[in-house]
Parts: sequence; C-alpha cells; structure tokens
Amino acid sequence: MNLVAYSSTNQSKIIMGKTLFEKIWDAHIVVEKKNNPSLIYIDRHLIHEVTSPQAFDGLRMNHRSVRRPDLTIATMDHNVPTTDRSLPILDQTSAIQIRTLEKNCKDFGIQLFDITSHDQGIVHVIGPQLGITLPGTTIVCGDSHTSTHGAFGTLSFGIGTSEVEHVLASQTLWLDKPKPFEIRVEGKRKNPHAVTAKDIILSIIKNIGTAGGTGTVIEYRGDGISDLSMEQRMTICNMSIEAGARAGLIAPDEKTFDYLRDRKYTPKNYESLVDYWKDHLKTDSDAKFEKIYTLHIDNIAPQVSWGTNPGMTCDVTESVPSPEDFSKGDHNQKKGAEKALEYMDLKPGILITEIKIDRVFIGSCTNARLEDLIEASKIIKGRKISPHVRAMVVPGSQMVKKQAEDLGIDKIFTDANFEWRESGCSMCLGMNPDILSPGERCASTSNRNFEGRQGTGGRTHLVSPVMAAAAAIEGHFVDVRKMDLN
Amino acid sequence: MKGNVIKYERDNIDTDVIIPGQYLKIHDYAELALHAMEGLDPNFHSKVKEGDFILSGRNFGCGSSREHAPIALSHSGIKAVLALSFARIFYRNAVDGAFLLPIEIEMDAYSNISEGDEIDIDISNNTIKNLTKKQTYKMKPFSEIIGKIIESGGLFKYKPI
Repeated sequence: MNLVAYSSTNQSKIIMGKTLFEKIWDAHIVVEKKNNPSLIYIDRHLIHEVTSPQAFDGLRMNHRSVRRPDLTIATMDHNVPTTDRSLPILDQTSAIQIRTLEKNCKDFGIQLFDITSHDQGIVHVIGPQLGITLPGTTIVCGDSHTSTHGAFGTLSFGIGTSEVEHVLASQTLWLDKPKPFEIRVEGKRKNPHAVTAKDIILSIIKNIGTAGGTGTVIEYRGDGISDLSMEQRMTICNMSIEAGARAGLIAPDEKTFDYLRDRKYTPKNYESLVDYWKDHLKTDSDAKFEKIYTLHIDNIAPQVSWGTNPGMTCDVTESVPSPEDFSKGDHNQKKGAEKALEYMDLKPGILITEIKIDRVFIGSCTNARLEDLIEASKIIKGRKISPHVRAMVVPGSQMVKKQAEDLGIDKIFTDANFEWRESGCSMCLGMNPDILSPGERCASTSNRNFEGRQGTGGRTHLVSPVMAAAAAIEGHFVDVRKMDLN
Repeated sequence: MKGNVIKYERDNIDTDVIIPGQYLKIHDYAELALHAMEGLDPNFHSKVKEGDFILSGRNFGCGSSREHAPIALSHSGIKAVLALSFARIFYRNAVDGAFLLPIEIEMDAYSNISEGDEIDIDISNNTIKNLTKKQTYKMKPFSEIIGKIIESGGLFKYKPI
C-alpha cells in the first residue's frame, strides 16, 4: 500500500521511493488495517530493573509466559550503586528491584547481565557493544533513550511498562505509523575535538524545540553525520527523544558494519547480513519526507543549556537570555523562561562563562562511551580540577571501564581528583545515591536538565564531555576551543 | 465526567517533575501517589481531590517513558489531563493502562478555564462545559482505536481482531 501514490498533476499511478524508516517499518508489519495502528514485530526487547517488575507481575497474574525469552535481554543499570560492587546495596528499595529482576529473569529464562557481570552497563551502551543491536531490526525498551540504537539503522524506541508486558507476552506492539522527518547536518566542524556530536544535537533541539519531532521518526543525514564515528552517532540518536521524536535513525555504512563485526553476539552469518543491509537499508533518492530541517555546522560553537529543558540551550560564547527575548512567542514561552531562570538561579545577561559550577558528571547513555572518556581525558591530562568542584566519571559499561583502564584513562582522571566509578545510569536521573544536593550546580554530559532530575533542587547544565572536563578544571564554563590539549 | 481543575500555566511539564526519579522504586501505587507532581508543586497532594482534572500547556509529559507518571496522577484522583498537546510516550502510557484520559484542547479552553473551575467533560460530544463560567469549548476527538482502548479499560482488555 505504501508503494503507490497518486501524482497531483496527471493522477496516474507512480511508484514512490521509500525512506529507510518506511522500509524497516514495512518489513515488521504483522497486521495492518487502514486508519488503525499496525501491529509491529519486535526483534529485540531490552529490559532493566525499574520499568519491568509490574510487567512480570502482569504476566504471572494472567498465566502468560514470555513469548521469546531468546530475544529478551536484561541488565540492571538505573538504580545500581556506582561504588564498590562487592559490598551489599544499602538502599533496600533498590536492592529489592535488583533481586526482583534476577528472580524474573530466572523464572522466565531471560539472559541477564547482572551487577557482577563483565557485560553489565547502561542498557543502551551494552546493546551495541555486545552486537545485540543490529541494522534494520526493531528494538524496544522501557526507557525513552532507546532511540540511541537508531545510530545503527535500527528502529528503536522507548515504551511504558504496560507495553513492556505486551511485548514480553506477544513480541509485538500496536503502533501508529510515525511520519518520516529528515534532519540534514551539513558542513564540517572547525574544531572537531571541541565541537562535538553533543553540540550538534543540542543545536538541533535548540532550533526545532522539545516538541519539534513529535509524531515523527527522524533520519539524520548529510556529511555532518557520515563524518561522525559510531559512538558520536549514538549521542545524536540518543537525544532524539528530547526533540519529542519517537525514534532517530542513521543509515548504516562501513563504519556501522565495522563496529558490529566481531562483537560477542554478532551473528555467525554476519557478512551475508552486511550484503543485504548494503542493498536495502537506505532511503531511496525519490523518497519523500514529511518534514525537513537543515543544520549547517561549519561555525557552530560548543553548547551549554541554561534552562530546564534541553531546548533552552545557547552557545558558550553567549550570555543567559532574558525572558523578554521570548516575548515574540506566546505567553507560556516567556513564562517558561522566567520560571527556568528562577529555578536555575541565573540572571539574564551574565555570560555563560561566568557561571560557576559545584559538580561535574561525565556519564549517561548519551556520553559515557570510550571515545567520550578519551576526549575528556585529553583536556584533563596534567591538570587538576578546581578545588571547589566535585567531579565524577561513571563509565557507560563495565567493558568501557575496563577498556579505559587498559589505556590508563582512569589514572588521568583520578590524578586530576575525579572520582572513577562503576558503570550505571547514576547521576543522570538521580535514582541511586549519586545525586546533587539542593542548589548545587552541575556541568553534566547527560540528556535532561529538568527540574530535580539530578536530585531535588539540583541545577543541571547539559554539555559535551570535553566541555564538562574543561569546566571541572576551571570551576566555571569555558570555551573548550581555547584550551590547549595535553 | 465532572470535576474541578488544577491549572499549571506552562508548557513542557516533564515526567521528572510529575514523579521524580527517586520514587520509581516504589511499587505501591497509593504510596507513589503521595509524591505526584512533587517536583513542581509540593502542595499537590494536599490539594488534589478524587475526580479532579489537570489543565496545562504544550508537550505535557515530555521526557522519560516511566508509566509511573500517569499512574501517580491517576492514583491521586486525577481523571483527565487537559493539555494543548502531549508528549507521545506519556499519552500512550495514559491510554494503555486506562489510567487517565489525555485530552487535547484548544487555546480558548486553555486560556479561559481557571484554577478551581468546575468543568464537565462529555466525550461522546467532544465538548467541555465550564460550569463555573458557563462556557463551552471543543476538545479534540479521540481516534477510533484510542476511544476503544479507553472504553475497554486498557490495552490488555481491548480485543482488536
């Protein structure tokens, strides 16, 4: 049905090309009925300790089993402590959630990377690094940042707990077909060590807004995207949800195929899959997107969020905006800016580089992969963090942690007085003891600067790993383009 | 469906303020409800009554996929959220569990309904009557399937085929 469209000029039937999203969608339709959601097949279901317990309760209550335990993969990441893992977990409610996931996985025959596993980590970091994430597949997880996996040409998105239960029971999901949205990233960054993938995605959200992608699947295209490494592409797709999109996608290329080759769970017939993906997983030249936005990145600056949503972001060279700057929008935009500045305790007009920080968090599914840590360590090397700053690195997974330690990266951070932690979601969402105290201000490589996100009363500024590292050294935000690399 | 309105005159109310992360470990829904809206309005629990509605701006429920957000509101007594627009995961979660009705409204309803107003929502006619101000507004109709899922009492009770 999607193949046929009517041209407006001659009313004759013409065959239209398809976008990458439409190709993956069409390949996963189980049931399709006009004007209704489609039933979509799910290839991989990732679960974690926080959004799965009620789903398993539901299965038990209704005497249902897990339809495909072999396609379901579990880890614990959201509330695990990032301190010594050989010690018992002090927070009893966290301990219960962790034990519950262990029991559920055992009872239903699901593979679990538990707290002691070498493969444990943030679910969106371990999926790709284990070769569980594959191009052209569908992946869901009870976590909004599931969009991360889109970097591999995977249709992946976050779901709620009722839907987790639905997928456990049926391996399918009812879904209205989202609209394809093309975001073109054009040009070359002048300082690629200082202007990063994080600055590209923050710039996009700043421009299209936190609801700019609602009801769409974004495909990121252009030379500004193909230039990026796989880990950088994951940072871009990760924050698609912050623009309100259901998912973000990047067409797979040689970098994608190289990244996934020789991973622990890479399929045995990998090379024949690659041949298939090369032929099929790209948007046709005559495909039509519902919406298009283009960002030119030749001159973009490092970004710093000043407010309480990721769209409230500006260049590091700018000053904090005034609510009056938003008076062209409606009343709510101006009021939103006023409320945000009040919460963030910031006065309009002060330079971003004058904002002092108390804490630095390098971590999260957005920016806690090996490259992120390597790039940040180049800023840190041979320096010490500002005496009034407390800074921590929380690697995205145990594998990232080990790889970094093998390279001596941990030593660079600890020599600079950073804390070097065990892997997990940690201070990104304030579910474990790693939280901000009320009023504390943090330079954070995570994805959300919502009120209270990192702890009640805590103030979050979203930045890239190199910007966070530079802020840790100086004690306030600095333009990392001006710092020498050691 | 009659009730009184609690109004939050802003856009982008996110799921972290609806139910802050530290409470996602709570399994008891009544206990979860004690912390609903705590990130934005610590007085919410003391003022909310069974059958109340929340009225807000654009992109309500943006952020995390935590189903705890509509659950916490629902178990506080909230029967519907009226907003200029919704973030999609929140919308789906609200409908999937039939926790509350996510109702998309127009600017006239948003501007004219005040905190404390008593309103009457009529889904069969897609209208909202403001009993306090004697006004009537249109609401965006639910799509057929959303209507059916809500009528059935959630995703697991709805039989599509």
